[in-house]
Amino acid sequence: MMATLTGAPPGTAPAQLQKAGPPRGPSRRAGGLGRIVGYLLLVVVALAVMIPFAWMISSSLKNNNQVFTVPIKWIPEELKLSNYTEIWSRIPLLTYLRNSAFLAVTITFLQVLTGSFAAYGFTKVRFPGRDALFLAYIATIAVPWQAYMIPQYIMMRKAGLTNTHLALILLQAFSAFGVFLMRQYYQSVPDEIVEAARIDGLSEWAIYRRIMLPLSVPAIASLSLLTFVNTWNDYMGPFIYLTDNKLWTVQLGLRSFVGQY
Amino acid sequence: MRRRTIKGLAVTATGALLIAGCSGGEGESATAADGRTALTVSVWNIEGTPEFNAEFDAYEEANPDIDIQPVDILADDYPEKVTAMLAGGDTTDVLTMKNVVDYARYASRGQLQDITELAESAPEGLEGLDAFDQDGKYFALPYRQDFWALYYNKGLFEELGLEVPAELTWEEYADLAKQITEEAAAAGITPAEGEKVYGTYHQIWRSLVHATAAAQTGGDQLSGEYEFFEPYYEWALDVQDAGATLDFATANSQQVTYRTMFTTEQAAMLPMGSWFIGALLQSKAAGESDVDWGIAKLPQASAGEDVTFGSPTAFAVNKNARSADAAADFVEWAAGPEGAKAVASVGATPALQSEEITEAFFALDGMPQDETSKAAFEPGEVALEMPVSEHTSDIDQILMEEHELIMTGSVPLEEGIAEMNRRVQDEVLSR
Amino acid sequence: MATATATPAGTRSKKPAGTYSNKRQVRRNTLIGWSFLLPNFLGFALLTLVPVVATFGIAFTEWDSYSTPEFLGLDNFERLLTDNNFRTALLNTLYYAAGHIPITLAVSLGLALLLNRKLRGVNFFRTAAFFPYITSIVAVAVVWNMLFNPSQGPVNQLLTGLGIDNPPGWTSSPQWAMPAVIITSVWRDMGYYMILFLAGLQTVPPELYEAAKMDGANAWQRFRNVTLPSLRPTTFFVLMMLTIGSFKVFDLIVVMTDGGPGRSTLVLSQLIYREGIVNGRFGYSSAISLVLFVLVLGVSILQYRRNQKLEA
Repeated sequence: MMATLTGAPPGTAPAQLQKAGPPRGPSRRAGGLGRIVGYLLLVVVALAVMIPFAWMISSSLKNNNQVFTVPIKWIPEELKLSNYTEIWSRIPLLTYLRNSAFLAVTITFLQVLTGSFAAYGFTKVRFPGRDALFLAYIATIAVPWQAYMIPQYIMMRKAGLTNTHLALILLQAFSAFGVFLMRQYYQSVPDEIVEAARIDGLSEWAIYRRIMLPLSVPAIASLSLLTFVNTWNDYMGPFIYLTDNKLWTVQLGLRSFVGQY
Repeated sequence: MRRRTIKGLAVTATGALLIAGCSGGEGESATAADGRTALTVSVWNIEGTPEFNAEFDAYEEANPDIDIQPVDILADDYPEKVTAMLAGGDTTDVLTMKNVVDYARYASRGQLQDITELAESAPEGLEGLDAFDQDGKYFALPYRQDFWALYYNKGLFEELGLEVPAELTWEEYADLAKQITEEAAAAGITPAEGEKVYGTYHQIWRSLVHATAAAQTGGDQLSGEYEFFEPYYEWALDVQDAGATLDFATANSQQVTYRTMFTTEQAAMLPMGSWFIGALLQSKAAGESDVDWGIAKLPQASAGEDVTFGSPTAFAVNKNARSADAAADFVEWAAGPEGAKAVASVGATPALQSEEITEAFFALDGMPQDETSKAAFEPGEVALEMPVSEHTSDIDQILMEEHELIMTGSVPLEEGIAEMNRRVQDEVLSR
Repeated sequence: MATATATPAGTRSKKPAGTYSNKRQVRRNTLIGWSFLLPNFLGFALLTLVPVVATFGIAFTEWDSYSTPEFLGLDNFERLLTDNNFRTALLNTLYYAAGHIPITLAVSLGLALLLNRKLRGVNFFRTAAFFPYITSIVAVAVVWNMLFNPSQGPVNQLLTGLGIDNPPGWTSSPQWAMPAVIITSVWRDMGYYMILFLAGLQTVPPELYEAAKMDGANAWQRFRNVTLPSLRPTTFFVLMMLTIGSFKVFDLIVVMTDGGPGRSTLVLSQLIYREGIVNGRFGYSSAISLVLFVLVLGVSILQYRRNQKLEA
């Protein structure tokens, strides 16, 4: 896997450097019939995908005892818009939103930064022990969190970090997932680009910053999106680590709101 | 080269140990800003469980030097969070014991303080205290004791011209449920939600069948021999097959709640725990439901008996409590008459029972006033929902799984019970 | 042939980045390498690696999360051999993985290919495909359980309409609960892996397609000989994440069936959670995790080898 040269031949590299970012696919035009079939397929998928979301919206307009009914009633008899005003007055939703946003942004930023940094070390610098270390990274992903949750909690507690946002940031910002994703992406960047830059006298850090980072915009975008969504939706992590109501995230807040009825 | 990697790992590991090492206790002082002693209490869902605030307010009023600081935990995963907290050496003073099985676990690990002395001097009439006996020692005192009764929708009964029976056998109950379903359909009564009015609603919990059977026949749920469930399953399946309750499979997969079924008047009867009284009072006060309801005694195996089941809720003192003395005082107070009054004031059933408390309970706004309801509030015998032993949670899991198979019709009744016997004996008791 | 363009073996550098030219070079590279790894590695080692290693140590003890662990040797593993729950959970997990991995891989790759074109409204469709992943999992469970309802659900109504007399009982039947869970999980995860594939597709230089076209390759040949080889790092990544994710599946099963009916959808992570956090047998639960870990590691190494062979 060392000198992987999958994909782009060196000649295309400069073009990639300039145009990195916007979606680039095969530029062929699909034929008329294929296009219609494609659209139909997409519309069906898109609609199918929206059903649970429709249920969420419909539920949000109901009295609490009307949410789980058989059969599902898609359009509530009377719209209860007051749910939306009530949630603001019943729970400090703004605080929860702020906490969630803070955590998601910080964690995403750190994950992308340290992840892509480490990924560069794993792909473009060659040193002994590198592959074994990488294997250790991937291997830990295979252990379910439920298994080491308690030892991890005890460590955090001993370090006096439970009930702080810092605990969650430390827990989630250095996950192996980001390193893995970025590494796979960097593998598709030809080594020749890096080698050429080295010959031009650029330091490794400059190569990372001036060449690899701009090249990896699509991967960074994916990683940011996935990390952000995962952090935002995380329930168990904040539940175990955050006790003080002022620190709660939206996920915890919403569950407590539901539990109030 | 390899040495370097190993050295790196060693340095990091040492760093981890150092960080872990310089932790230590979190200081002894537990004083609030205004000089009062801070007392932390773990609770679930404080907004939705009004007895907590009722107790805390009353206690603070009686003890002006104490400042109670609730540690609010979401109800769904309360035991898991408490397990994690205690594993990390948490110093929350008072821990609320949501159920007896978890209590036994914390107690046997030595995470709770021995309060046998308080238990010995506990007031007469403290129901559910026995459940906390751990080989003669007590590590928690109950403040609340729930029991099962039969809720009924007075409005629906009146509409159909039916009397509310004060006492029923399970057979009569099944017939009544079927009768109501038929007559409601014939009379064209349709609820605001759902499809039709059911005679009753059976929550999917296994305790409805298993704990009732154990309490009323004297069977033991830990025994590995479950033939005593049989007649109870027959009644439950009879009601379900006749369409007199929402079927188990649908109720389970659609996460239907007893609360929805009863407050939207889709079910005329509902066997359920006494905690539902508080919820009904609350939702009526909030204007969310205007069901006219009452309670009757839980149906019995044969006429004239009066046995139900239930489970107590208790407070315990954390082994690592910072204000242990204040915590013990609070636990004792909550189990006493003052605590009971506070619990009853929000429609929850206190562990300490007396005529005075029952009177106060029925004086609450929205409580039914009929004699049947009042009689149901004083059940003859309340058996413990599930006996406690080291096998409890494993057996509970097996019984739950097999219950699901029987009730969804995946396995015939006799085969299901045979499987319960076999699995509990092979997988738990003989280990 | 198009293959020649896709893997330009001839242009491969004779001297890839940082070869061992001498000792000083190695030391320099090691330093540089570690300087890149360190920020992430510190956090990772302290907060993940240490507890994971601790967990594996606990697997050989009896531990209740509070008292001092008691060393048991291999007792926990012996117990695994005769534990019915473990066997059921292991088989169910394999069943789930065998269904979830290939279908999700195919669907998400298909979606990514479909949505990597210059279609009108492509961003809307991409967002839509990602929607299931961000929708609350409770909503997903309720709606899919409704769709799968044996008597009134649209799925079975459709099947009956198609002339199937005895449609499956889905989540209320022990035989059909797992297929129902797999269908739902594919639906939920497809957008997630599509995003990863989309990022990978953007590394495929359009020039390759042009060249292949000039060589007279048809759409299928272009896919086989240009897209697939260029996507290999991404596919490997997706396959690994999918495998790991399938073996660790937890949330969706908990809210959808909670392992039922009976034990028909009980999976390993659930058993780990139940034995450890719920029942307080952390030693035994860690032993199950260790087995799960070895299992995933084995499958991963197979995939890794295969990937290297393909790349060579």
